[in-house]
Amino acid sequence: MKVSYFETGRYRAPSDLPAIWPMPAAAYEPSEGARVYQGMIERITFAEQLGFDWISLSEHHYSPRILTPSPQVAAAYLAAHVHKIKIALLGPIVSHSNPVRVAEELAMLDTISDGRLVVGLLRGTPNETLTYDLNPQETRGRTDEGMELILKAWTEPHPFSWQGRHFRYRTVSVWPRPLQQPHPPTFALGTSREAAEFAARNRIGFGVSYGPFEIMAKATGHYRDECARRGWQPASDQIIFRANIILGETDAQAQRAMEAYPLRAAFSLSEGVARALLELDTRNIAGEMRPATINRPLPVNFVGGPDTVVNQIRRCRELTGAGVIDLGFNTPGTADPAALLDTLSLFGRKVIPHIRDI
Amino acid sequence: MTDIGARFRERSIEVDGFGVRYQEAGAGPALVHLHGAGGLRLTPALELLSRTFRVIAFEMPGFGTAENQRTQSIQDLATTMAVAVEALGLTQINLMGTSFGGAVACWMAVQRQDLVAALVLEAPSGIRPEGSEPVSGSPEEVARMLYAHPERIPAAPAVEPALAARRLALVRRLRGPGRDARLEEGLRGLGMPVLVLFGTQDVVIPPAMGRVYKDLLPNAHLMFVYDAGHAVMVERPEAFAEAVGDFLQRTDAFVISQTRTVVFP
Repeated sequence: MKVSYFETGRYRAPSDLPAIWPMPAAAYEPSEGARVYQGMIERITFAEQLGFDWISLSEHHYSPRILTPSPQVAAAYLAAHVHKIKIALLGPIVSHSNPVRVAEELAMLDTISDGRLVVGLLRGTPNETLTYDLNPQETRGRTDEGMELILKAWTEPHPFSWQGRHFRYRTVSVWPRPLQQPHPPTFALGTSREAAEFAARNRIGFGVSYGPFEIMAKATGHYRDECARRGWQPASDQIIFRANIILGETDAQAQRAMEAYPLRAAFSLSEGVARALLELDTRNIAGEMRPATINRPLPVNFVGGPDTVVNQIRRCRELTGAGVIDLGFNTPGTADPAALLDTLSLFGRKVIPHIRDI
Repeated sequence: MTDIGARFRERSIEVDGFGVRYQEAGAGPALVHLHGAGGLRLTPALELLSRTFRVIAFEMPGFGTAENQRTQSIQDLATTMAVAVEALGLTQINLMGTSFGGAVACWMAVQRQDLVAALVLEAPSGIRPEGSEPVSGSPEEVARMLYAHPERIPAAPAVEPALAARRLALVRRLRGPGRDARLEEGLRGLGMPVLVLFGTQDVVIPPAMGRVYKDLLPNAHLMFVYDAGHAVMVERPEAFAEAVGDFLQRTDAFVISQTRTVVFP
């Protein structure tokens, strides 16, 4: 099992800040923001020393929860400071991006990082359709097409035109090309039938997140079935499972932390917006319709002391086939950077050595 | 567009001793179309193009009711089709070929640069990977080969098995090698604007074949039509007709966007 540390930026919001999205910009404290980015280097350097395989970044907007609205900018900064660990962008939101621009920036990052880039492409959480005025009913189609165009932009040797459904370009010819040829390890992220089938068809990886193992196993199972139907089998590290973890010195300590865990939605929308989005933003797991996660807290998949967490990781692997876990260390108090480093250290000492052979 | 053929009038003309059938619609600059291995079929994309161009869709000798044992090579067929064009009184045409018809169109452009003002190749089969086979089989098998989403395409009119077999034999006899040095040398010398289109999901001729056209013709435009299979104009008619129409009207300048982005004036 490979393990990835999910770096969210760790902006320390005042505890009395209401849980709303978008968060008013007035609540932002510039000097705290500066500390966030300085702290990134310390955390990922530490994660590298502890033996984490990847550092991951994701794209979210208008919120203190994840302070990387451009994960590409963050990745460029981090690439200059660490030299071994892989930098995983999980990922740029394809549905509201210019896919050619994404292809260019990722190729730059792969080259800047000496070929250490890992790429996850995704549709984005429902709130992000509001970020750049995107019709929620078009996000699926834009994501599928954008992913295809990004792969094409990386691999076509000649200038070409793209006559899509959502995108039209008459001239595409990206420089630089990625250092890793034909392109960096790439994953379609999500649980949908469409993402799984896109990944299988293009022989790329697949990543799921934030759900019970049994349910995420339906999505990864569909991906593996689709790969088999097309005559290939993904390697274990071509399936990523992203999850929250609450790690304690002991099970009891972790349970106490879990009880104190603020069960809040990641991006809390007003009721009217949430209701409308639930109708417009349709989601599925391996083709089975399910409501989008809106105004509901994300689960915590891994809770316990080191031995318990190792067993949970083993179970994750058995059920979902994932060979990479990408972990958000959300233990309350870890907004305090020192406490987070202690938790990372515990994971590095007591968990990592026992999951390599899983 | 319930009745695709409503705008088109069927006519025929005597050429090289062949009775050549064709469908014609619209007014404006001539756009001559050469069909693929499956024969002449009017499509919504041709209908759309006929609003701007005088579209003439030929049935090449041997693909209709009459047999053709006389044509010896794809070059011969190209020569015959050029004679057919001139017999209609045309001296300058936009030439568009689909798959096998794209290979014929390449030869006609090579032979008759004076006649062909611009060349459009839809998933052309003149340059093929080794082992590439023409499409054949049951209607369902053919649809799976031609389309990325066969379930979205209305079933084509049934073709008599004997006619289908005869067309397939004719294509096999005429199509020539997958890589033909004479054709490729000829393509290098083309001076007219060229547009090559491939569907991103083409499983008959891999879209990567487009790279060879760009190697031979650096000024050609290579276009990928997203989510289309081999029969691009059937599967993405609006996308196909917009690209081809814009290219024929503006040629190289079609790379300059004219899309308006003003939300409110």
